[in-house]
Amino acid sequence: MIDIAFFLVFAAVLFVIGMYGLLTSKKGLVTLMCIELMLNAANINFITFASFSGGTAGQVFVIMTIAVAAAEVAVGIALMLNAYKTKGTTEVDKLTSMRW
Amino acid sequence: MFADLTTSIVDALGEVTYILPEIILMIAVLIAPLLYMFNKTGKAVAAVSLVLVIVSALVTFIFLDAGLEGEAFGIFQFDAFSGLMMLLFLAVAALTILISPGHVETTKHKGEYYMLLCGAVAGMMFVASASNLIAIFVGVELVSIFSYALVSLKKNDPRAAEASVKYLIIGGFSSALTLYGMSMIYGTTGSLDLYGADGIISAVQVMSGNWAFVIGCVGLIAGYGFKIAAVPFHAWAPDVYEGASTPVSGFLAVASKKMGFVVLFKIFVVMFVAAKTGVFAESFQYVFAIIAAITMTVGNVVAISQSNIKRMLAYSSIAQAGYILIALAVMSQYAVMGGLFHMFTHVVMKGGAFIIVAALISAGLGETMDDYRGLAKRAPFIAAAMMIFLFSLAGIPPLAGFTSKFILFSGAIVDPATGAVTMQWIWLAFIAVLNSAISLYYYARVVKAMYIEKGKSEEPVKVGKAFLVAIVLCLVGVIVLGVYPTPLLELCEVAADALFALV
Repeated sequence: MIDIAFFLVFAAVLFVIGMYGLLTSKKGLVTLMCIELMLNAANINFITFASFSGGTAGQVFVIMTIAVAAAEVAVGIALMLNAYKTKGTTEVDKLTSMRW
Repeated sequence: MFADLTTSIVDALGEVTYILPEIILMIAVLIAPLLYMFNKTGKAVAAVSLVLVIVSALVTFIFLDAGLEGEAFGIFQFDAFSGLMMLLFLAVAALTILISPGHVETTKHKGEYYMLLCGAVAGMMFVASASNLIAIFVGVELVSIFSYALVSLKKNDPRAAEASVKYLIIGGFSSALTLYGMSMIYGTTGSLDLYGADGIISAVQVMSGNWAFVIGCVGLIAGYGFKIAAVPFHAWAPDVYEGASTPVSGFLAVASKKMGFVVLFKIFVVMFVAAKTGVFAESFQYVFAIIAAITMTVGNVVAISQSNIKRMLAYSSIAQAGYILIALAVMSQYAVMGGLFHMFTHVVMKGGAFIIVAALISAGLGETMDDYRGLAKRAPFIAAAMMIFLFSLAGIPPLAGFTSKFILFSGAIVDPATGAVTMQWIWLAFIAVLNSAISLYYYARVVKAMYIEKGKSEEPVKVGKAFLVAIVLCLVGVIVLGVYPTPLLELCEVAADALFALV
């Protein structure tokens, strides 16, 4: 059996990659993808813990999360389109009409 | 008084009773777009959603009065705490729906607007009655996703699109942090239920040296720190409140923020009171105390330099979040009662201030400090009401803000069980009082602009009837809660007792 640490480290690395991308990327759509990466890292954690402890609650949570993430992306892309229509860009660096 | 009625409802509906208020609001969510198809002015949609919100509030009040307690489907739980919080969210919803139809910034997509508003409130109520991490996460996401869309629904303003994108990215980041934290807590405690014999709180006692559990707690604090706009997670709040249409920014400032506090109370107060293992719980108390001190200081200091009223109110509501965080740092029953009471007074005073800003925007005024010059001559009642709300926010007696701050700050000094003065959090109370003094500066600046400075125009400002009703309601709340807080305080005390009974 593979040690639980491998799964957890994999999830942690995925989470950090997502966070790095979110903090550095300039493109709006890429930030959305990075949020997905972070959510999936948490999902892997849930599945790992559920399968190593024999419970099912964690797997139920993952199904809920997948649905929530899908809704979030649907609304997110609509908002990005809206921003592109009104401001002509989705680059987060250029959405700076309000500051401080 | 309503005990018989409540028993017969429980007999008829069974488990569903405990989520009946939420179900009534979900009905509003479902029929709002349908009604809009037949009535394009949006008046009917607003009226029906207002009626359903009031019905839901009445049902909640009846349950609360009868002392109903019970669990639904194993993930929701109605008790005095959740009932009281539902009443708070419903009150904000009623005020927001009341002023929305007459407001100029309200979008032309009326059906969607009221659907999203009622849906967000239903989500907050689900969170208030949740007793399971899945229910909390899904409820919070329901509120978040609905409010991203609400922020973007504004007439002719490119700032709304920008604000909604910012809100989306920050909100998504915070939910990812929360989810990762929840996964760690699930992994270490082996449960997603918060309370009960095999719940998370029963496993907390052995967690004091467990770094994975600590990562989980930090993830939750950071994630919900974004929701309550605590410094350093506050950067989105001023932009979103400025960009959104004013009823929506008022709604987010007073309701959405309270939802974050409800979650923090539900998870952390109960968990750390249950843990009781000195160092472990205490170090988290210090985390909350430091966040509280930084939050109120940054909020108040940055608010001083704002010239946009909505932005100033946003920073001031960041500072108010800092005050409420004192309850989480102290974690005594008395302080939690003070925190709950401050949430209510915050609704009437901050809500009232936002309603006035909305009313004046509808009357053709701008949202900067310059537009408020000489307002006392142009609209004497509105200016007086604004002054009362702002002075209440600053904490001047005998207004509501003074009473709630007094109880909240004294909760940091006095140990309620023995009545003795404790020195542990006295520095926090000291910083909070200093901050109240700083905040008076920028509130008084608005009052000075309204009463002393001369405006460009002298022509009287006409404000719609719905706005006047909402303003009078908030004014009554501010004055009554300041002079005679006992009934609501008793409710808050019962709610705090219910929260601590979960341990």
